[in-house]
Amino acid sequence: MPEKFELNYSNKFNFNKCMKNKFFIGYDHCNHIKRILLMMKLTFFFCLLGLMSVSASVYSQRTKLTLNVDEASIYEVLNQIENQSDFVFIYKSDVIDCDKKVNVNIKKGIVNKVLDNIFKDSGVKYEIIKNEIILTTDRNVLNKNRTNVVIPENRIKGKVTDTDGKPLPGVTITVLGTTRGVITDNDGTYSIDKVNPSDKLVFSFIGMESQIIDVGEKKNIKVEMIEKTEELKDVTVVAYGKQKKESVIGSISTVRPAELKVPSSNLTTSLAGRVAGIISYQRSGEPGQDNADFFVRGVTTFGYAKNPLILIDGIELTTTDLARLQTDDIASFSIMKDATATALYGARGANGVILVTTKEGKEGKAKLSFRVENTFSMPTRDVKFADPVTYMEMNNEAILTRNPLGETLYSDDKIARTAANENSVIFPAVDWHDMLFKNYTKNQRYNMNISGGGKVARYYIAGSFSQDNGILKVDKRNNFNNNIDLKKYTLRTNVNVNITPTTELIARMSGSFDDYSGPLDGGSGMYNKVVHSNPTLFPAYYPVDEAHQSVSHIMFGNYDEGTYCNPYADMVKGYKEYTRSQMTAQMEVHEDFKWITKGLSFRLMMNTIRNSFFSVNRSYNPFYYALDYYIPGTDEYSISMINEDEGTEYLGYNEGDKTISSSFYLEAALNYNRTFNKKHNVSGLLLTTRKNYLDANAGSLQSSLPKRNLGLSGRFTYSYDERYNFEFNFGYNGSERFHEKNRFGFFPSAGVAWNVSNEEFWAPYKKLFSKFRIRATYGLVGNDDIGSSSERFFYLSDVNLNTSSRKATFGDNWGYSRNGVSVSRYANEDITWEIAKKKNLAFEIGMFEHKLEIQAEFFSEYRKNIFMPRADIPVTMGLSSAVKANVGEASSKGTDISIDYNKSWNNSMWLSLRGNYTYATSQYEVYEEPEYKEPWRLHKGKALGQTYGYIAERLFIDDAEVANSPKQNFGEYMAGDIKYTDINRDGQITQADMVPIGYPIRPEIVYGFGFSYGYKHFDFSAFFQGLTHESFWINPSSTSPFNNQTQVLKSYADSYWSEDKRDVYALWPRLSPDVVENNTQPSTWFMRDGSFLRLKEIEFGYTLPQNIQKKIHTSLFRIYVSSTNCLTFSKFKLWDIEMGGDGLGYPIQRTFNVGLNISIK
Amino acid sequence: MKRIMKNITITKSIFLLLLITTFSCKDYLDVVPDNIATIEQAFHMRSSAEKYLFTCYSYMPSHGSFDGDPAILGGDEIWPRSNNLYRNSIFFDIAKGYQNVVSPYGDQWNNMYKALRDCNIFLDNIENVPDIDSEELLRWIAEVKVLKAYYHYYLIKMYGPIPLVKNNIPIDASPDEVKVTRQPVDECFDYVVQLLDEAAPDLPLEVVDPASELGRITRPIAVALKAKVLVTAASPLFNGDNDFAQLKNHDGTVLFNPEFQKAKWDSAAVACKEAIEVCAEGGFVELYKFIPSLAKNYSDTIITQLSIRNAMTERWNDEIIWGDTQSHTGDLQKLAQPWNIDPIYGDTWGCYGILGAPLKIAEMFYSKNGVPIDEDKTWKYDERYKLQVGGEDEKLYIEKGYTTAKLNFEREPRYYADLGFDGGIWYGQGRYDDSDVDNLLYMQAKNAQRNQTDISRGSITGYYIKKVIPYENMTKGESNYSYTDYPWPLIRLADIYLLYAEALNESEGPSDEVYKYLNMVRARAGLGTVQDSWTNYSTDPNKYKTKEGLRNIIQRERLIELAFEGQRFWDLKRWKRSSTELNKPITGWDIWEKTNEDYYVSTFIWNQQFGLKDYFWPIKDSYMEQNTDLVQNLGW
Repeated sequence: MPEKFELNYSNKFNFNKCMKNKFFIGYDHCNHIKRILLMMKLTFFFCLLGLMSVSASVYSQRTKLTLNVDEASIYEVLNQIENQSDFVFIYKSDVIDCDKKVNVNIKKGIVNKVLDNIFKDSGVKYEIIKNEIILTTDRNVLNKNRTNVVIPENRIKGKVTDTDGKPLPGVTITVLGTTRGVITDNDGTYSIDKVNPSDKLVFSFIGMESQIIDVGEKKNIKVEMIEKTEELKDVTVVAYGKQKKESVIGSISTVRPAELKVPSSNLTTSLAGRVAGIISYQRSGEPGQDNADFFVRGVTTFGYAKNPLILIDGIELTTTDLARLQTDDIASFSIMKDATATALYGARGANGVILVTTKEGKEGKAKLSFRVENTFSMPTRDVKFADPVTYMEMNNEAILTRNPLGETLYSDDKIARTAANENSVIFPAVDWHDMLFKNYTKNQRYNMNISGGGKVARYYIAGSFSQDNGILKVDKRNNFNNNIDLKKYTLRTNVNVNITPTTELIARMSGSFDDYSGPLDGGSGMYNKVVHSNPTLFPAYYPVDEAHQSVSHIMFGNYDEGTYCNPYADMVKGYKEYTRSQMTAQMEVHEDFKWITKGLSFRLMMNTIRNSFFSVNRSYNPFYYALDYYIPGTDEYSISMINEDEGTEYLGYNEGDKTISSSFYLEAALNYNRTFNKKHNVSGLLLTTRKNYLDANAGSLQSSLPKRNLGLSGRFTYSYDERYNFEFNFGYNGSERFHEKNRFGFFPSAGVAWNVSNEEFWAPYKKLFSKFRIRATYGLVGNDDIGSSSERFFYLSDVNLNTSSRKATFGDNWGYSRNGVSVSRYANEDITWEIAKKKNLAFEIGMFEHKLEIQAEFFSEYRKNIFMPRADIPVTMGLSSAVKANVGEASSKGTDISIDYNKSWNNSMWLSLRGNYTYATSQYEVYEEPEYKEPWRLHKGKALGQTYGYIAERLFIDDAEVANSPKQNFGEYMAGDIKYTDINRDGQITQADMVPIGYPIRPEIVYGFGFSYGYKHFDFSAFFQGLTHESFWINPSSTSPFNNQTQVLKSYADSYWSEDKRDVYALWPRLSPDVVENNTQPSTWFMRDGSFLRLKEIEFGYTLPQNIQKKIHTSLFRIYVSSTNCLTFSKFKLWDIEMGGDGLGYPIQRTFNVGLNISIK
Repeated sequence: MKRIMKNITITKSIFLLLLITTFSCKDYLDVVPDNIATIEQAFHMRSSAEKYLFTCYSYMPSHGSFDGDPAILGGDEIWPRSNNLYRNSIFFDIAKGYQNVVSPYGDQWNNMYKALRDCNIFLDNIENVPDIDSEELLRWIAEVKVLKAYYHYYLIKMYGPIPLVKNNIPIDASPDEVKVTRQPVDECFDYVVQLLDEAAPDLPLEVVDPASELGRITRPIAVALKAKVLVTAASPLFNGDNDFAQLKNHDGTVLFNPEFQKAKWDSAAVACKEAIEVCAEGGFVELYKFIPSLAKNYSDTIITQLSIRNAMTERWNDEIIWGDTQSHTGDLQKLAQPWNIDPIYGDTWGCYGILGAPLKIAEMFYSKNGVPIDEDKTWKYDERYKLQVGGEDEKLYIEKGYTTAKLNFEREPRYYADLGFDGGIWYGQGRYDDSDVDNLLYMQAKNAQRNQTDISRGSITGYYIKKVIPYENMTKGESNYSYTDYPWPLIRLADIYLLYAEALNESEGPSDEVYKYLNMVRARAGLGTVQDSWTNYSTDPNKYKTKEGLRNIIQRERLIELAFEGQRFWDLKRWKRSSTELNKPITGWDIWEKTNEDYYVSTFIWNQQFGLKDYFWPIKDSYMEQNTDLVQNLGW
């Protein structure tokens, strides 16, 4: 891949060569692009050959030019020089008389010679910097020539430098209120005439703060230009705006985007442990399906929506959109956690908000940066199965141990011959896992962005491409790729334009596109099929034997009627393709209303999103063959086709899902922010929003109706002397889901903060405690997403007057049938908002002059109006759908803490440590349920996501114990099956004996810690992440051996109850050919502790020294290697523990990554 | 500058206007258009109301389905083979004794109450339909009343006393109103009968258009159902039962009347007689007889066999009073059909033959003399597992020259019509000419023989359920099993005759009227009268003359005649004989063996256990918790 990349760019460079000769005024943008492209070539040259850059100063000495022109213009000469070499001329058009004719006749001379020749006595001075040649006016010569020039009156002279004292050429100096102006020379000097003492001079330069200076009596004005600082450094992104960091009261975690950088094309996988307040875990490693689950401060509802609201540049988007974001494009990443931070998002803010803004172009030189990563990816841990011989032996045992009269499936002969590896066609022993999956796969990611701009317009353009491959093998006999190949493309442009001095227009366009090709059943589907495939009945495919010489298809193996699962056939028989695209277009207008009153501004934002998805399957129906007979003792056998009718050799076609949706959003905001008397800061925000969402594939009339929200929100803040802050917020939101009388909800919140360290009395402690601030907030937030989209209009009943599920048929030949009527929801006008009451108390502590920053927050929340089914309506009512109401209540509390420590030493060594910890626990407060006699069954007081199950004591020792123990009501059971505790001692095991077991399925504690260390050009970082207070359950039904041809997990084979070895604490109970319902009840038997700690990421980087970078014109040049999930500490060994109960799916991946990151300014 | 300022002012005014307008329109959130479907719309015209009528029908339990009807696999009549190929229906777990309260197998509580709510919605609203003529209106109301009665009756059969749903409880009723209680079982039966009485007069004697209406409720169905309901109500389980007298509501209401009331049998007998008369009016005059088409040549033996088989499997034959068109029998046929039945075509995937009849069911059938084999003076009961070679006389029953158990010899025609077994005839399936026995199909079902070559197929007992398979089904090659679907017969004429005989015997004791209806059923099965048979062949020749003896005979006759039709399961319960019959071991031949000597050995399969509690379904635990006013059935 890199070769190809390089090639593209060198082509571009060639193309640009023809642009080389242009007249530039000072340092123009085009010039920068040109330089950048030039540098890029060099950079790649460097990257590929790994050579140290040829010293550029040597270049001018080494390059020999041959020129032979008569009466040519200087312009032509310069052109020839550029064509012969890599030299570029930079000059102001008014400095040189380009049309002046010269004669040059030089053979193999160095460039100085040529230039000396043509500029002799012309007053033109040249300077060679590497391969750039800057032409300026030689004042000495000019002055010499014009000795009689009168120095005009009121001339101001001076020099403009940057903060390092280096001269700045090209700075524009204008007289305020006029169009008169000059530009600084190459040495930063300028002179401007006819300036009155009452005038003001404006110094402006791209990327620098403009300065206005009163002239007064000064004749020589020296100016030091200061670089524009990044605005975001000391402001925090808050709901619909920004606030100074020290005035924020709401609980907002911000993450440096760089911290989210992981070698993965899925951003959500990096959230766990990086952000205080986020509970996150990842259950699958399959490309495209690997989004992590994440929740802000855990989950405080058992209603429908539990996920936070995700806003990217103010647009409500999905988890997948967040996953596709490039960290390099992110300007800020914030998590809004408490009521004050989220109240403005009244309609959806209850579950927290994730707010991301993307970068905008900054005034300044064009800056290009790109990143290339190449990753090796492999499962962290593969599920291990018992070998085929053990499988057969155990299968026979399973049948006989349940039914001594049962017929066994595998003869001793077959087992013995399989064990002896006799003939793999007749006695197959297939390692399906090995047949289907590779050991590792390779992924690539590229992204680049370019940004810059001038006074009028600024731009940020970014594009990325990534290719994630699955770990599936591909059969060479097919010409299509059935492995997962997910290509993701994104394009983002943000353009800011100043239309008038007070009006800024921002246009943002972004597109995200996925092209997927993969197995028909998906990656997890293939992993699941391997688990449920018999390893000994048939080989994956039969070799072509003499009788089948003419067969032109793969002779897949199967058995009996051909209905067994041959995962290899399922994998290679076809492929699925899908395409997902999302386009967003957004326009914002910012208007400064200072003409009304200072500090007032207005913003209007509109955006629309178009989303589309479709998928197509192409596959053939495999021809299956089965063994007819074989002659024992010889290798002679015969196979024959068993599905002549169904099989095909050609591909069939099947259209998949198609989904299209669109949304429109409009937001208008009035903002006010002003400081009075330097101590009183007042700000206010009034905002209206409306949102419309349409789904083309809603599936029913009611779901097809537009989803709408309408909102009016406001914020008022007051701060005094940077010591005391007050804030009041409200959201007044409407949702189309509710009946008119309940349609609008009002969600106020308020907060205070006290910056103790700014008080005078704190001065003595300031050295140690550089910062100490206390914040407290309280408020309400709403949620209208309380039911699935099919139950959206709670105030209407949902009736299907023509449903085939209630069809009846009559007639002597079933000739007359009519569909029936069904009700899937009963109307309820009283359904309304789910409301969260949130409290937050936070301490911000800075120590050792801000080297150590600690932020500790303590929160509690009470959620009411949770939508849930009524429990007191017995089935004798005959209702065909559950009656639900806003009756549930739940609460949560917890803490999130983040600690940062940064220190750097003089000898260019630096260290940063960071850690964060999130603890969120929740419980049911009101949960409608029957009035159980047994208190342990009541949900009140139990954690949300609490599993109820039986206490498994051990396995039954013998049938006598079975007979003498309380009856277990789950069908057939015998010795060796799980024995449950009769909690209520009523002599039988029923649901009344179910108790809360284990921790919730969502972890309550997620933490992470790590360090970054740098010394000179090397940096090294490591990050650990862990979670605890989580339980999960091995799925006993899907892992139950032999049922549905399920393979035997190695760990089951190593530890199971058998009649000879009555291990009552064995991992797996008595074998059975079927699922034994008694053993698949939720119980403590298959419960496991989900805690783990893993080395989530480790990275080692090398940045080229500045002096070398200077030579190759880069501002950042870093090579790094990194690895994710390389080490996991947990007791659970069956599969990667983070997958929890879904361990048989596509495994979580461990990656090794090599990356290159380059920025050019 | 001024111009710019002016522009800005205009822009700003627009912005301000926008700010106000974005929020002002309240209608923005009114996204729901008019004409959203509502229940009321179902009753705006006849055609949509008809859909509601069909909705009421759609709740019919899956009769005759191995995974929908407890009467197929939940008792002792059919014993399936369970293996990897075929996952057993949960109803088989009832037979094996694994019924439970946590998640009761075959629970209908939820489904039937939903059905009753829809029936009531229909009855409450149907009169609003403007474009329906009054005759049709009355008929529809009557049909739904019969369905409402049937759904109640089904719940009573399963659960005993139940909460009745005479009218719907409004959806916004208070928690106390919705907590219904179980009603005494006599009241339950009364209400069912009341509904049927209300409905019967408005129903047609027969459907007008068989092509579109067969299966709809008619007057014969209503009166026959009433006869069945009343016989059930008069039967020992519900009439004077002391075992369940302890079942009381929390308020002390006694749910089972412990006092025997003969009047129940009297009214049952009256109802049965009425049913026979109404059925006769409706065209159900006599029992079905197979009438051969002229083109084919059938012997009397085969005609008798086909008369027996087709009475069940021939669609809408003269005897089918109520065929349930919502219940299809294809799957059952496939499970019963032995594979490889025709050696010409060989294996047929899709047929499983995994339904078997236990030995005790095979032994239940009479001898050829029409009396039980252990009562027949001429039949050597003790030698029944000994071997015998098929002779010329039995060639239409047993393959000539083939050795099989004596049990299979000298049995009544229903034995050979209903059962398939090693050496037994499998008439039909493309082979119809019985003058050439070499052309006919006979089973060979010992291990490694034709019908038993596959380890995962075949009956576990050695007996196959031939009765449910129409004789013209064909197996033509591997994936080609062509079968004829037929609606499950819910009530057929022989059933009503036998109910009448039973009720009359209970009410008045043996009489010629009782014998008459009993003998009609026997005659069709190719047997002599009950009087002749017992007098001449039985070791207990006077048995039919006493009420008790005749009761015994009628019950056995009923079990044989209606074998494999989903009746035995319920009949044994109402007679309270389940605790006797379902506590016997399930046995069969030793199907793994290859030689006659080893094969024909009575082999133990399962030890069935049936306790008192098993007479009724448990009410699901969670339903009990939702409504604490419900009481659980005894023993659960």
